[in-house]
Parts: sequence; structure tokens; C-alpha cells
Amino acid sequence: MATLSIKDVRKSYGSVQVLHGVDIELEDGGFLVLLGPSGCGKSTLLNMIAGLDDTSGGDILIGGRSVVDLAPKDRNIAMVFQSYALYPTMSVERNIGFGLEMRGVDADQRKRAVDDAARLLQISHLLDRRPANLSGGQRQRVAMGRAIVRDPELFLFDEPLSNLDAKLRVEMRTEIKRLHERLGTSIVYVTHDQIEAMTLATKVAVMKGGHIQQFADPRTIYERPANVFVASFIGSPAMNFLPGRLVSDANGVRFAAGGVSVALQASKQPVDSERPVVLGIRPEELKVVGRDEASVEGVIDVVEPTGPETMVTVQVGEQSIVARLPPRFAGRRNESIFLAVDPASVNLFNPGSEQRIDI
Amino acid sequence: MIESKRRRRVIANIATYFVLATLSTFCIGPMIWMFLTSLKYEADIVTQTMQYIPRRVTLDNYVAIWTQSGFPRLIANSLVVTFLTVTICVATGTLAAYTFSRFAFRGRTKLMLGYLVMRMFPAVMMIIPLYVVMRGVGLVDSRFGLALAYTSFLLPLFVWMLKGFFDSAPKELESAARIDGSTRLGAMVRIVMPLARNGLVASSVFIAIAAWNEFLFALMLTTGQGSRTWPVGLQLMVGEFQLPWGVLAAGGILSILPVIALFAIVQRTMVQGLTAGAIKG
Repeated sequence: MATLSIKDVRKSYGSVQVLHGVDIELEDGGFLVLLGPSGCGKSTLLNMIAGLDDTSGGDILIGGRSVVDLAPKDRNIAMVFQSYALYPTMSVERNIGFGLEMRGVDADQRKRAVDDAARLLQISHLLDRRPANLSGGQRQRVAMGRAIVRDPELFLFDEPLSNLDAKLRVEMRTEIKRLHERLGTSIVYVTHDQIEAMTLATKVAVMKGGHIQQFADPRTIYERPANVFVASFIGSPAMNFLPGRLVSDANGVRFAAGGVSVALQASKQPVDSERPVVLGIRPEELKVVGRDEASVEGVIDVVEPTGPETMVTVQVGEQSIVARLPPRFAGRRNESIFLAVDPASVNLFNPGSEQRIDI
Repeated sequence: MIESKRRRRVIANIATYFVLATLSTFCIGPMIWMFLTSLKYEADIVTQTMQYIPRRVTLDNYVAIWTQSGFPRLIANSLVVTFLTVTICVATGTLAAYTFSRFAFRGRTKLMLGYLVMRMFPAVMMIIPLYVVMRGVGLVDSRFGLALAYTSFLLPLFVWMLKGFFDSAPKELESAARIDGSTRLGAMVRIVMPLARNGLVASSVFIAIAAWNEFLFALMLTTGQGSRTWPVGLQLMVGEFQLPWGVLAAGGILSILPVIALFAIVQRTMVQGLTAGAIKG
């Protein structure tokens, strides 16, 4: 177990800078998810923590010890790769024990450690097989076994679930969470899947273009996104964005746009009236109400029942928004619909900088 | 309709077999002829009417070339030179190929291209400068010198072939090994080499055969019995006034035996190596 500190870490390839001064602090036993679209620099950052890539500047500390000048083998980390990277010429047993073998652990002790790890991951019956004779899920377990057997200070996961089918992915996600709670070792986990980030992380770093967009716990990331990118990247269906303006009068502050009038909770006064803003509403925060209570008026465009809920696309003036409504929603296309939203749940963004505005 | 389809297929099959049989005759025919000649008495070789199948069989030619011409020495020299060439190529070429495959360094592409360009020049162009260099360092007429000369034109081929095999070994495996406690070199030896084993065998066999059969460099760079290889030795047996066909044929057969033996041993591995990546594994 160890803390992880990433301090102003930069990376350039020639004149192209791919990471611009990243700062991250992970508590002992924490679960950090690096989340972002392809090419955002998350895997590069992970490789630099592992020592597989050199840093171009800044410092990385694992358990308070700077590791940037250490070889990967001396950083006391273990890594699970997207492709599992099992050694094809070795049996499962030797794959799991390879790290111990390299560190000169004697055969008996190695066998015990491998057996323990195999039992924990329920792969004891596979120890004699070669990786080629395993299914995707089994390979994933062996890769995890190889990581946990060494009892490292820090686990690194590089999109470990993306090669699995949907059902197995959910299963393994739970398994990883269970493993983390059981072992208590700090984990850095790279993914582009926001569900994995939300379910697993104690801290999420949302990245884009080599910059950290927001670094916070999953709830904060979801409920109070730092900018439009984070807001739109997290959540499915994505957050609705409505451009409009702030209106401040005797009744308080509200957001106004064609067909929309949402009362806002303003903590600071005075509010800059007529200021253009973008309103962000999560689809599940919208509720069907009577005309009198409505803050959003629109016309139903598409109704998509998914079973546990119904996705309704509503045309509001020029804009189109999605509402996540109860399963038995009875509305039809082209009917009018009236929606209300909890003022505490909405987000405001600056239309120019796309940064969050707190009023 | 079905009838005509079947007929077309039969005709296509016959044509295929005809082409294959013709090509095989061209490839194997001379070897069979050489083998048959080696079993004939000298008097039965040059006759008025061609004798394809010998009426009388003798092993005299084999006895003659083995006991009277210093042929064992030639074969031994060839074995030593081939062994040295393969050893130097494997030792240096493996590291070079791995470096080309894994590291991005300044001038990498140019260097790789340089390796190719070297292969484009005919051997005749290189031979005089090479001779001068070898004489300068005192390596003319030595087996080591000959092996070095072979390395000069076989190493690029070896590196290019092996680089392909290294390229196809996933990089993540080495990353995993390096995190598990290996150094880069350790990861290469423990993880990548076993994966590229078939490719390594295939490339080494290519080098071995090329070194074994090489004639021009051996002719120029060896002068005495001490380092002369079999292709040169056989050629020198062709005298001004006599052409000992039977003995030459026996020599030819003896000299391809090691190659056949080598193929028999590594055949499976080599075919796997050469077809690796041809289908998704």
C-alpha cells in the first residue's frame, strides 16, 4: 500500500507535447481512474508511472519515494495490460510466478504464493494450461493473478476489461472492486468507459488533450462537472445543454431560453443579469409535471422504452433534449410535454470558455 | 451444368499437376542425374548412347574423392566457416534486429535502408575492396576471415528477416516482463526469443545454406588447402585435360548431405517460422 503523487509531469515527443503538467495525489489504498477519450494521454501517463515511458519533466512518487529514475522492475508495481500480455510459452502457473521467479523467491514459497493467488481468483484448476488454451475471462484472471501474487505497492490497470464481452465485463468489474476492497492496495486504472470509472474509483481524473479536465471523486465529477467536456463525457445518455441567459428580478434568479424557464439557487448576489450561459441538465433530473409547475415546455419527438426506464427525446424550441422517465410513460410523438427540474441539480457553463459557473 | 463444372475442375487439376511435375523435374532432375552419375564407372559416363540408369553400380567414386582429394578437409573447412558465420550472425544480428524492432533512435530508417542497399551491389563489386581489407588485417586465407566476409553480406539479410519476427512479438509482453523484474535484455532473452524461435531457426538456416554453398568469396579469399571450402575444392578438381565426372558427382552428393540433414532436423520449426503470421494464430 502506498500513496501516489504525480507532480507537474510532462511528456513530449519531439516538439509535440502530449502531457501538459499533470498533478495528481492519490491517498493510500485509493482507486484512481484515468478517464478520457482515445489519445488524451491517459495510457502515456500510466506507462510513465510504470516506468515503461520516460517523463519529460516533473516527478512521480510512489509511497513518498521518487521513482522517475528507477527501472520498472525497481518500482514495486504490478500491471495488468489490455491484451493481458501473458507469456505464451509458459504455463499459467509459471506466468503467475514469473515475477517471484525473477526476484529469486525459492520454488516452495513461489508455489504457495501462486496457489493462494489462484485460489483467490478461482483459477486453481487452470495452472497447468498454456494461455492459448484459456478463454478471455480466464486470461484476465491469470493476468490479475500475476499482478497480485507479488503484493506490490501499486497496481496499474490499462483498460483491462475492454477485450471482454459485455456480460463478462460487468462480472470482472465487480471482481476488481472486490479485490481492491480485500487487498486494500492503491490502484491506478485507465479506461475510456465512464461506467467503470464511476463504479470503481475513489478518485477520477478526466483527461483531454494531455490536460486534466477535472480531478475529483466520482460523485463530484458527475454532479458538479468542471466544464462542458467533463459534463458531456460522463453520463449516458449525455447531459442536455441548453444555451440561454440569466435573468435576475424580484422573484430571484432564473435561466431563460425559448420554452425554458428554470429557477436557480443563487448563493452570491448580485447576479449579472442577461448574462449568456449554457444550462446543463442530466436526463434523469427531468420529471413530468402539470403545465403550471413546468420549467421546460416541449413536444415529444421520440419515445424509447428500454425496460427499466423510458428515454424521451423532446423538442424544446430549436433544441432537442433527452429525459429519462419512468418505464410506464404513456406520451406519444407530437404531444406536448411539461417537465420540471430540481434547481439544485442543474449546472451552468460559460458559453465561451465552457467552464463551470457557480452563481 | 454440374457436369461441366466438374470437368472444368478436373482439367484445372490436371494442368496444375502438369506444371508442378515439370517444375519438379527441373529442380530434382539434375540431382537425380548427379546421384546416378556418381554410381557409374567412369567408362559408363561418357558413352555414345546415353545411359540413364547405370547397368553396373560402384561406390569407387565416393571412395576416391574421400581418400585421394582431401575432400574431408574441404568439408571440415566448410563446416567451420558455416558455423562461424551463423554464430557471428546470430550473436550480433539478434541484438541488431531487436534494436531495430524496438528502439526509435536517430538514423534508424537510414541504417535499415543502408542494410538493404548493401544487398543491391553485386558481390563482384565488393570483392576487391574486401580482399584489400582482409589482406591488411591478415585475414586472407583464414577460415575466420572467410566467415567475416560472409557475415558482411549475410548479416543484413539476417537482420531484416529477424526484425520481422521480432516485430510480430507483442511489445506488451516485454513490458510485463520488465515490470515483473527483468531487464530489457533479460526480457528479450526470456520472452521474445522463445517467441521468435522459429523465425530465428529459419533465418539461421538461410544463412547456413548461403555460407555453405558460397563460391566466389571463397575462391578469392582462400589460397591454400588450410581454409579452402568444398565449392572451390570441387571446382579446382576440373583439370585442363581431364574432367572426372564420377568423382565430381560424388563430391556434389556428399556436399548436399549436411544441408539435407539440417533440413530434416529443423524442417518443422522452419516451416512454422516462415509461415508465421500468414494466418491469424
